[in-house]
Amino acid sequence: MATARPGWSRRAQYGLFFSFIAVIAGIVIGVILLVMSLVAPKAFDSVRGAALDVTGPVSTALNEVRATANGLMSGAGDYWDAARQNGELKREREAMLRRMIQAKAIMLENEQLKATLGLRERERKQIAVGRIVGSSLNSPRRFAILSVGARDGVEVGMPVRAADGLVGRVVDTGALASRVLLVSDRASIVPAKLLRDGIPVIAQGRGDGTIDVRPLEVGRNPFRRGDIIITSGTGGLYPPSVPIGRVVKLDDDGAIVIPLADPATASFAIVEPAFEPTAIAAEKAVQAADAP
Amino acid sequence: MVRAALSPSRRFTPGPQRFAAFVPAITVVLASLLAALPIVTTNGWYPNFGFLVLISWRLLRADPWPAWWAAPLGLINDLFTGYPLGFSIALWCATMLVLDLIDRRTMWRDYWTEWVLAAVLIAIDQWLQWQLAEAVGAAPPLVRMVPPLVISICAFPLTAWIVSRVDAWRLGR
Repeated sequence: MATARPGWSRRAQYGLFFSFIAVIAGIVIGVILLVMSLVAPKAFDSVRGAALDVTGPVSTALNEVRATANGLMSGAGDYWDAARQNGELKREREAMLRRMIQAKAIMLENEQLKATLGLRERERKQIAVGRIVGSSLNSPRRFAILSVGARDGVEVGMPVRAADGLVGRVVDTGALASRVLLVSDRASIVPAKLLRDGIPVIAQGRGDGTIDVRPLEVGRNPFRRGDIIITSGTGGLYPPSVPIGRVVKLDDDGAIVIPLADPATASFAIVEPAFEPTAIAAEKAVQAADAP
Repeated sequence: MVRAALSPSRRFTPGPQRFAAFVPAITVVLASLLAALPIVTTNGWYPNFGFLVLISWRLLRADPWPAWWAAPLGLINDLFTGYPLGFSIALWCATMLVLDLIDRRTMWRDYWTEWVLAAVLIAIDQWLQWQLAEAVGAAPPLVRMVPPLVISICAFPLTAWIVSRVDAWRLGR
């Protein structure tokens, strides 16, 4: 359908016309699919999962190459000042040992207190351990690709954490890979609290790699720079006491937080079951009923 | 020199490649597949590679592929990049249609016109993505869409150059 007038050939004129019709049909089909995927986000689960299975393993393989190259570079760099690092590490280890003994004592005390209170801790399991191998490159949304999928037991709605802190939750699963909604996405809202005094706050992503936190009670701004925000476990989707981030900047009624688990550098991500299994069931019911 | 005629010469053009008709579409799919690169970004400032290559081809030639191919190409882009299914299908088909209409109106084109056209198309793409995020309550302030927009517009000459090289290769020029 290049030129306006393909000449006197009837065949060429018809070809041009049908090409126009086909493109318009393409637009209509696209809009219909788009509306369907917005209204019923679960409608295309299997297709999206299959696409994840195509790209996920590729990303994983490429990621290995990148990690190896990075490792060689930093490994070579570490040799340069090994002696100084050695001394530093020894000092750190001494300090760590002291802290560990303290922590053990506190844990023991904690267990005793819990026993007297009659609290039962649910056993913390992990479903799968994977790597973050990709992310949404051009989008106002913040998604990451995780190298484990339904075959490893990953299900939609499960929280994902790294060693440093919370990463996000699973929103799409293929057999071999899954898509994670990062905590820095605008649609991610995590019930949280201040580690310092336990004031309940709400952590919502800002879409640019940072998180916005607001206290539940309106009034004085409880945040200070350097405060650590942890999950509160309210709502049952995220396990309690997982670190989310550190406050870097205050604004009028809240603060801006940098996530502790940087998905770009976290080497492993752990998929955990939803803290309260009922929360996932409830969410599935809500998602089936309407849009997210 | 007679001897010069005997040596293999680059002046004799080898003619089009065997799959010349499919090369443009294949490059678009490959560009969409760039989304599988193991890059973990927390700001999403990378260009929409598939769309950039698509408009680069379409601005270079009027007929890189039958216009309706934009629909399956868009589907592939949606699946690999994680956009809501249907977004690229509709946008890419509409782009083909709009550029055909523009082709009928414009008397002449030069490089700057093409860049402005591409910039407008990229801006529409970014704005629609923002609207989609808005629809599910996940839209950042509109100002945040400016850096990826600028980066994409600056990346267009690069993709246009690559596409023109690939075009020369596939036609054996």
